[in-house]
Amino acid sequence: MSMPYYVSPEQQVKDRAEFAQKGIARGRSLIGAVFSDGVLIVAENPSTSLNKISEIYDRMAFAGVGKYNEYDRLREAGIRWADSTGFSYSREDVEARALANYYAQHLGDIFAEGQKPYEVEILVAQLGIRQTPTKLYHIAYEGTITDELEFAVLGGDADAIRERYRAGTSGTGDLSGTLQRAVVALSGPDRQIRSSDLEIGILQDAGTRRTFRRITDGETDRLLGR
Amino acid sequence: MGLPLFDVNNDPGASFQALMASQGIDLFAPVDASAQPSAHATTVVAVRFSGGVVLVADRQATSYKIASRDTRKIEAADRFSAVAISGSAAAGLNFIRVAQLAFEHYEKLMDVTLSLEGKANYLSTLVRQNNLTTPFTVVPMLAGFDNNHQIGRVFEYDAAGGCYERSDYTVIGSGTDFADTTLRLGFKDAMSSDEAIALACLAVYEAGDNDPSTGGPDFVRGIFPIIVVVDAQGFRELSGEESATRFSAIRDRRISTQGRAGGDLR
Repeated sequence: MSMPYYVSPEQQVKDRAEFAQKGIARGRSLIGAVFSDGVLIVAENPSTSLNKISEIYDRMAFAGVGKYNEYDRLREAGIRWADSTGFSYSREDVEARALANYYAQHLGDIFAEGQKPYEVEILVAQLGIRQTPTKLYHIAYEGTITDELEFAVLGGDADAIRERYRAGTSGTGDLSGTLQRAVVALSGPDRQIRSSDLEIGILQDAGTRRTFRRITDGETDRLLGR
Repeated sequence: MGLPLFDVNNDPGASFQALMASQGIDLFAPVDASAQPSAHATTVVAVRFSGGVVLVADRQATSYKIASRDTRKIEAADRFSAVAISGSAAAGLNFIRVAQLAFEHYEKLMDVTLSLEGKANYLSTLVRQNNLTTPFTVVPMLAGFDNNHQIGRVFEYDAAGGCYERSDYTVIGSGTDFADTTLRLGFKDAMSSDEAIALACLAVYEAGDNDPSTGGPDFVRGIFPIIVVVDAQGFRELSGEESATRFSAIRDRRISTQGRAGGDLR
């Protein structure tokens, strides 16, 4: 006769966290960083069609690492939330903090109650205007949410990349400088990431309502001085 | 509202309308026919030229009196297309909002823009849904630059949602007869943008001059028709000063002939 066995809550949380971390560590990392007149997101991503970075709203971008199908579903939910909130109220009322909180709640619930935790980390970036600050919200697989003013690193290798990014030139540089710093941090000392293996999205004011755009390989080469 | 997550079988896809329906919001809810008369009447023209399309619209909204003198009837549907409305103002403004958001929503979810033809067909459904559920009829037009074929294209609709592409120009609103005649006489293949703007302005001037529900240039208040160009560079609205210059030129020509039209594009 089989006996139901007891697993302590501590052990259960530890097991789940290990599971999620392992899944996330299998993928490549990304950096979100504030530069002089915008927000930059750089991901190592050899695929040109399965994106890690995406537009959410006029001044808001999304990025995810880990299991593609899981963060892509969260990305879609973010766009749907933003578009229907903006339609019901006003475009000004669509704020990254609210979305980041929803993501945190959802990931927290899944982590505690789901069959298995999501193997993802996500970033919600907001380009500030007037009363709204420029912010990077980093949400981990178990729902921990942190807000960063300068940069955030997501992925398995985050600690090392964070240290390398910190060691780069300090202060808020322009797009080209910030991109170089981020790419150096992502690639590490003994390899170079090809431009075609980088996925880059930025939020930058250009006189239009929508501020998100992708940076093409050619522009990447130019910005990196390659 | 919480995070709108769906399982695969109930996913609304890239349709903004289906998303709102899943939240119990009907974008074209039936309205009681005995409600207040809505503002209506208009003249909007769209003219193809060699590198794109030009749109010009009057600014007047009309009920039993002049309801507004500075209405905007053309808006950017997205970077490369413009949508314009005639008919009910209330339904029309909702129509523009829904159209804009539907295209943007699709673009963000799918990470690719809809083709111009895709946008034109999508509007058909919106027109049909609106006009079959409310007495506040909307008849729109869509004009834009087709990036797949590198040409300007114009689409007109009937009140039942039929979508028809025109090879030269299209007109909507109560001033259609007057504007259409002007365009028919003045249209040439492969015009420059400048020629197309001049012709489209003249058509709206004629409509304003003859149709009581179309507003002409308002020299007293300094309110002038909206002029939009959509070409390979995208949607661009001309300044109020530029519109004033164009319409002042027509006025001056008419003064010199004591109000008579005719001759070489007077």
